[in-house]
Amino acid sequence: MSDSYVIVGDGIAGASAAETLREEAPDAEITVITEEGESLYNRILIKEFAKGKLPEAPISIHDESWYDDHDVDLRLNTLVVDVDVENDAIRTHEGETIEYDSLLLAIGGTPQQLPVGNADAEGIHHFWTFQDARKIKESVEDADRGVIVGAGLLGIDFAAICGAQDVEAKYLMRGDSWWRYALSNEGAEIMHEAMRERGVEPVFDSGVDHFEVDDDGHVVAAVDPNGERYECDFAGVAIGLDFNTEILEDTPIETDDGVIVDEYMRTNVDNVFAAGDITEFHDTVLGERAQNGAWGSAKEQGTIAAHNMIDHGSEPFKWVSSYSITHFDFPFLSFGHPTLGDDSVEATTDEGEWRRVALKDGRVVGGVLIGDLSPQSAFKQLMREKRDVSGQKELLMEPGFAVDDLAASTEH
Amino acid sequence: MRLRRTGRVPSDARVRHYDELDERTQAVVPELADRPRTALESADLEDGDVVKFTDCSLIRTR
Ligand SMILES: Cc1cc2nc3c(=O)[nH]c(=O)nc-3n(C[C@H](O)[C@H](O)[C@H](O)COP(=O)(O)OP(=O)(O)OC[C@H]3O[C@@H](n4cnc5c(N)ncnc54)[C@H](O)[C@@H]3O)c2cc1C
Repeated sequence: MSDSYVIVGDGIAGASAAETLREEAPDAEITVITEEGESLYNRILIKEFAKGKLPEAPISIHDESWYDDHDVDLRLNTLVVDVDVENDAIRTHEGETIEYDSLLLAIGGTPQQLPVGNADAEGIHHFWTFQDARKIKESVEDADRGVIVGAGLLGIDFAAICGAQDVEAKYLMRGDSWWRYALSNEGAEIMHEAMRERGVEPVFDSGVDHFEVDDDGHVVAAVDPNGERYECDFAGVAIGLDFNTEILEDTPIETDDGVIVDEYMRTNVDNVFAAGDITEFHDTVLGERAQNGAWGSAKEQGTIAAHNMIDHGSEPFKWVSSYSITHFDFPFLSFGHPTLGDDSVEATTDEGEWRRVALKDGRVVGGVLIGDLSPQSAFKQLMREKRDVSGQKELLMEPGFAVDDLAASTEH
Repeated sequence: MRLRRTGRVPSDARVRHYDELDERTQAVVPELADRPRTALESADLEDGDVVKFTDCSLIRTR
């Protein structure tokens, strides 16, 4: 009898696991279940569609024939509502039971709503799926004024969409700068200036107290906690994700924010694995538990999970994640865990070029590069090698920094 | 390979976001952007692939 693998989620983590399983286990039964109405597409390009810069076609990655060609049973529009680990089965919203030998949870997260009045009004958008992107595009094309909330990596996508679609927008931030947990004011100011050039005005020490709506229930304004009122016919909210763990509530599968897995992507239940945004994994690079929210990491976790579903312990996840912003005329890259650490070093290395490296116990744990991405490989190497850079951190700020510039004795 | 700026994305082009590329290709793309330079082949990019790197896309040519 061949093994049967069930994968919940057809995002990049689930899909890359399906690909790897098919390659490594040609006779296995593979089922991929997704709540969405379409098969794998490029989630990190849907913003370009919403900006009006890309048509739909290049965003698809696996069309439905891919699943037939690879003998993968794809179930679209199917929500898994329950996992029964005692009987090795999942249950769908239609009451169907599907048994597995090995299960992969690649179920990601769902954007949070603001806990304020009228947060679900017409014209207020959250951004995760292609369907969201289609609605955002339609709404923003008709809009004149926008409000954006959420001073992080997803919020800035809304800013870029408003900019590209000629919507004058106010970007309401709670603190005094964009992504203040990873950047200092100096680095953030480069991003603020880029937003302003596109007609998006950052508003600091603000946020949303409530939204106002018209008689049809459509948003007309956001009112901030200072009582300032910002008229808008479009609003984009990106304040964080809730991880989709509710289907695991009555199971022994260990969860915290996400699903807890080891470096082999296995949960505390032997034949249940998880991959992608949903995991809180043992990060062998950081030496502690971590969570990533990036495409490359989710893809790699899917592949690693598949290898270990076939042969547990065969391949650990060892990866330095990165995430870039491609909206402006300069590049931006964050890598590792730029919001962690007990120390940091930063510098402006040239006009419009800025970098910051976060350190913990003398080791690089993450950072942000603006304008000049050339040291990215060196910084990732330092992370993987767990190099102690104590006493030499200023060298990391040298424009042409290379790993060999560090004193050799620091190698671990 | 070379990369040159492209304003219009051909509708049949394969479009890659910078974050999808492997680490070596990620290191090479910024080197080639805006410069008439060549780099070693990358298995990750085929001729005609469009790379979304900054606000201006790059297209791979020989
Ligand atoms: C707008 C946007 C822009 C982004 N930009 C970048 C970027 O530039 N660079 C970068 O590296 N990352 C970016 N990201 C993050 C990146 O897209 C994610 O980290 C990655 O796609 C996560 O993949 P995943 O497979 O883990 O989860 P997901 O892609 O979220 O897939 C999970 C899937 O599981 C399904 N699912 C969940 N629960 C169930 C259930 N009970 N039953 C059935 N199906 C279920 C969901 O519907 C979903 O399709 C961006 C994300 C968004 C939304």
